[in-house]
Amino acid sequence: MSDILRISLPLTVWLASFSAVYGLQGVACSQHWAAAGLDVATARVVLTAAWIAALAVQVAFVFVLGSPRFASRSLFVRTVSRILAAAGLVTTLWTLFPVVTTSVCI
Amino acid sequence: MNALRRHRELERIWSSRPGWRGKLTTVNNNDIGLMFMFVATAYFVIGGILAMLIRSQLASPHSAFMGPDVYNQVFTMHGTIMMFLFAIPLFEGLTMHVLPRMLGTRDMAFPRLSAFGLWCYVFGGSILIFALLAGVAPDSGWFMYPPLASTLGSPGVNADFWLIGITFVEISAISAAVEIVTTVLLYRAPGMSLEKLPIFAWYMLVVAVMILTAFPPLILGSILLELERAFGMPFFQVAQGGDSLLWQHLFWIFAHPEVYIIFLPGAAVISTVLPVMARTTLLGYRWIVVATVALGILSFGLWVHHMFTTGLPHMGLAFFSAASTLVAVPTGIQIFAWIGTLWKGRPEMHLPMLWIVAFFATFVLGGLTGVMVAIVPFNWQTHDTYFIVAHFHYVLVGGFVFPMLAGLYYWLPHFTGRKRYFKTGETAFWLVVLGFHGTFLLLHWAGLLGMRRRIDTVEAGSGWELINLLASIGGFAMAIGFALVLLDVAVNVAVSTRSRRNPWRAGTLEWAALSPSPSYNMASLPEIRSRYPLYDDPELPARIARGEGYLGEPRDGLRENLAVDISSGRPRCLVIFPTNSVLPIIMAAVTGGLFVGMLIKAYWLVPVSLVGMAVIATWWAWTLGSGEDQDPRPVGNGLVLPLASELKRPPGWWGSLFLLLADVVFMGSLLFGYAFLWTVAPNWPPPAYLKPGLLGPVLVLGGAALSFGGIRLAQRALRHDEKPWPGLLLNFAGLVSLGGAAGTVLARTVHDAHAFDATLWVIAGYVIFHVIVAVLMTMFLTLRAVAGYLSSRRIGEANIVGLWSDYAAVVALLGLGAAWLPGAFT
Repeated sequence: MSDILRISLPLTVWLASFSAVYGLQGVACSQHWAAAGLDVATARVVLTAAWIAALAVQVAFVFVLGSPRFASRSLFVRTVSRILAAAGLVTTLWTLFPVVTTSVCI
Repeated sequence: MNALRRHRELERIWSSRPGWRGKLTTVNNNDIGLMFMFVATAYFVIGGILAMLIRSQLASPHSAFMGPDVYNQVFTMHGTIMMFLFAIPLFEGLTMHVLPRMLGTRDMAFPRLSAFGLWCYVFGGSILIFALLAGVAPDSGWFMYPPLASTLGSPGVNADFWLIGITFVEISAISAAVEIVTTVLLYRAPGMSLEKLPIFAWYMLVVAVMILTAFPPLILGSILLELERAFGMPFFQVAQGGDSLLWQHLFWIFAHPEVYIIFLPGAAVISTVLPVMARTTLLGYRWIVVATVALGILSFGLWVHHMFTTGLPHMGLAFFSAASTLVAVPTGIQIFAWIGTLWKGRPEMHLPMLWIVAFFATFVLGGLTGVMVAIVPFNWQTHDTYFIVAHFHYVLVGGFVFPMLAGLYYWLPHFTGRKRYFKTGETAFWLVVLGFHGTFLLLHWAGLLGMRRRIDTVEAGSGWELINLLASIGGFAMAIGFALVLLDVAVNVAVSTRSRRNPWRAGTLEWAALSPSPSYNMASLPEIRSRYPLYDDPELPARIARGEGYLGEPRDGLRENLAVDISSGRPRCLVIFPTNSVLPIIMAAVTGGLFVGMLIKAYWLVPVSLVGMAVIATWWAWTLGSGEDQDPRPVGNGLVLPLASELKRPPGWWGSLFLLLADVVFMGSLLFGYAFLWTVAPNWPPPAYLKPGLLGPVLVLGGAALSFGGIRLAQRALRHDEKPWPGLLLNFAGLVSLGGAAGTVLARTVHDAHAFDATLWVIAGYVIFHVIVAVLMTMFLTLRAVAGYLSSRRIGEANIVGLWSDYAAVVALLGLGAAWLPGAFT
């Protein structure tokens, strides 16, 4: 089962972080954000921080799944999981880059 | 024992009873698979007739063929039938039929569950077809948006048929998914490690996990909408704190992955059949596995692109536009791998190959228009127009129906034992393909000219009249083509000559079996050394038939099979499969009572059915396991293995784990819905949040501690051959306490006062449901201990109960914690 986890985890974590950032953006544009005394500029900072954190986790996957300690003993699983870890990193970079390029709540 | 005697003995053990009664009690994968495909085809015919009614209506301006009320039912049922009653069950049936042979095993993981799923599908689908015949079919479109589908827009029973009938059918999809995941991971020929898995199995593993994670949001949405319709719980009513956009989120979190759930089985067939037709092996196996996994997961991050016109902020639009463009990459990897496979081989243009060529010509176009609609400004222009209708027909017909027809003709010898003789199929091919493009290529233009979806009539002078007339002519040509396919198969089944083994000279293991496939699938289980065992060893089919693999000698009339290690494929245990049984169909009928009771508002039938289901489930589970410890048994080739019932984690534990994955997603969807309403819904906060008080939190914390500790104490006692009663009693007390905590939430809220209250009722109901399941399982475990079914070696059942008991405690902690959270801070 650990081999299945090695293969499925990086993109699953992307999905979780992608959904979380989308949810965070929803909260940042809701009445609760303003009620807490926060503004749109703060929202941008928080969203960017979340994006960087998501990227950091994906970078960690790339290294961990390539390390002798955590990599699979199967060459096939090792290769597939590394490619998917790289895909997770690129996917996180591409799908969440709007946090720094578009308006937050308009 | 010679090969013929072995064949007869294994047939006696594994086959269904003769006659029509045998079909009602069979649990064999070949029977179940064929029945799934036969019923799915029948629904396809009904859905196709509805499509022709639509094209008849739109063929001329101001057509009086159907009034708008009937037209609404017709297009809603066309979409509903094709998505839920045709596409998914068809590939489930195909998978159940061919997968065990491909994997070199003797049946699917849980044969009775296969049969239960089949009957749920048949009964649930019948409910919808009854509605169609009675003139009360759903009429709000296949995605049932409220408020159109709520009591405001649909006061009649039409929408209830959809919500209840589809939820019933979804039981079938979930059960098939649990089956497929467990089968691929645990039931393979010895030596078949993950890297030697047939590519079809990789695809179906991903698809099955997608079903487990995509369907729960729709099941939740359907339950919420039905609760709103039946009991006034206002989840989607803005005035009372609801939001109709919540439905759109829940629906599309399901329905976008659904597109890939339908496409990936088509891709699985292409990846399997295309190399055989090209007389070579698949190019880029690893990359296709990568692309399949990536596509499966990425598809869950696209759902909002169906909601681009709902007024979302630009950042949200950009997230989902970016993700939507990204899926073209793994799709492209597969397309290029297939082209490369053709390039390195010598393609032969047999009928399956013709359908594959049609797939390329159609699906690639659908994929390109998919990238177009992923771009926000273009999406705004074409949303809800016939451009979208044309796009998704290119994707679904091109990406699913054409590959399935390739698969039908490829595996026809397995289904019928016959080889094709008449050439009607080629005529049918040209009619379908030309008719399809004649219909839907044109409808892209109708959409770009502004023709809206779901309009029941075409205005004269709109500029859409000629396009629609030609599209209707194309549609009827396509329908004649599909009818010819059915005729072709029927005639060939009736009068063609018998097929020889492996007529395509393929390399995968299913072709080692006889045609039609025998009920036991594999006379003995071979040791696998590559992805194409028949290319490595052309003598393998004969050696399998001679019983030279594992389990080559039938023993004691038992249905014996092997389970293997997930990664390496090393044999782990011997599994005794259940025999034919009437339980699945009875269970499905009783489950049907639950849904019919809700549909006709005979609510007394709901608890009666639930009690009936609990009794049958107990009967079902009681027939498993063993009353005494068993010695390990020889399985052939000098190997001796323990029985599955003596593993800490038997196959049933894994099946429970995968089912719980769906349950976790359901819980996550429920919490998402709650958070969504709290964040976005206009009429929040509610008049008052629920204060946690003291009693509820004490009950839930104490109950969770007792339950966690109790079940572990019972497991520990069993491991030491001691009495498990103290632990079971503590677990029982803990579960009751958790139920009591949920009861405090129900007692202090009014179900229809506000969406907040209604949500808390659903959370509490969900907790209570799981507490009841865990209590029943604990009582079952107690009875099993009394009857001597548990020991230090036979502890698997206790571990299964532990999973469900722990899950009940976790959902109580999380769910009730979320219910009290806003009240604790205000």
